[in-house]
Amino acid sequence: MHEMSLALEVAQLVEPAVPAPPGRLLRVGVVVGDDAGVEPESLRFCLGAVLAHPPFNGAEPVLRRTAGDTLRLDFLEVDDGRPDH
Amino acid sequence: MAVRTIEVRERLMARNDELAASVRQQLQDTGVTAFNLVSSPGSGKTLLLERTLTALGEELGIAVVTGDVQTQNDADRLARHTTRLVQAVMTGGACHLDARQILTALEAIDLGRTRLLFIENVGNLVCPASWDLGEAAKVVLFSVTEGEDKPLKYPKMFQMARYAVVNKIDLLPHLDFDVDRAIANARAVNPELRFFLTSARTGEGVDAWFGFLRQQAGVVQTT
Repeated sequence: MHEMSLALEVAQLVEPAVPAPPGRLLRVGVVVGDDAGVEPESLRFCLGAVLAHPPFNGAEPVLRRTAGDTLRLDFLEVDDGRPDH
Repeated sequence: MAVRTIEVRERLMARNDELAASVRQQLQDTGVTAFNLVSSPGSGKTLLLERTLTALGEELGIAVVTGDVQTQNDADRLARHTTRLVQAVMTGGACHLDARQILTALEAIDLGRTRLLFIENVGNLVCPASWDLGEAAKVVLFSVTEGEDKPLKYPKMFQMARYAVVNKIDLLPHLDFDVDRAIANARAVNPELRFFLTSARTGEGVDAWFGFLRQQAGVVQTT
């Protein structure tokens, strides 16, 4: 039921790590425990809504289920915008 | 383009838990025992607190923080039973109180003349279970009109609570609620739960609750 406030918390944690254009955030990994009191599909929906906006620009939420009451931001995948060498 | 993965491994509740630790420290330093009262809406949290404030408010130096999605109705009701300011937190849509709100509310409470603090959470058997507010213990209420299977349906709340109050027992003659089955269901998810059976409306069973609170406030020795 509080998935949106969790999604906003993820956004606050992620924001400082978003690279400056032309770099961009690609994926945001979150681990959700089965006993965390969070409905994963609802969290995915809320994360999608939050990440659709600048500066996140449509980064994809990636949820991974686990046992226990874990609830954590796991990883960020970013394109730092530098050309390939 | 250069794609890289940054490992973060940051707990999502970490900030709330830091603030809750700060609340807990402040309460410990001032000798205040705090209870986080949780239940579904309409279980009788406010009425139990009204009765508790009337009986023990002065004796035990009770302060109250109430949380509601909207309105200050609970705070207004409780204010009639205490000379102290009741702190009302309107969550503006949020389904639970969080530690930041409690930290702010504490600024307006004279902890020096407080021994017990009640935090009346938003009526909701799901979300408040996940948020530590810095309390000594969660007290879960469930009323006999709700059905014996509530602990099985909402196990996390009953697992997180240390005490359970089965309320509205004055209605038992009119219902087919099985108290023993309800308690067995609660103990199935949390064998350590300690129970109180009360009617906040008639006062039946509240003496055991009051005795417990006196112990917790250090007025009588804990047995």
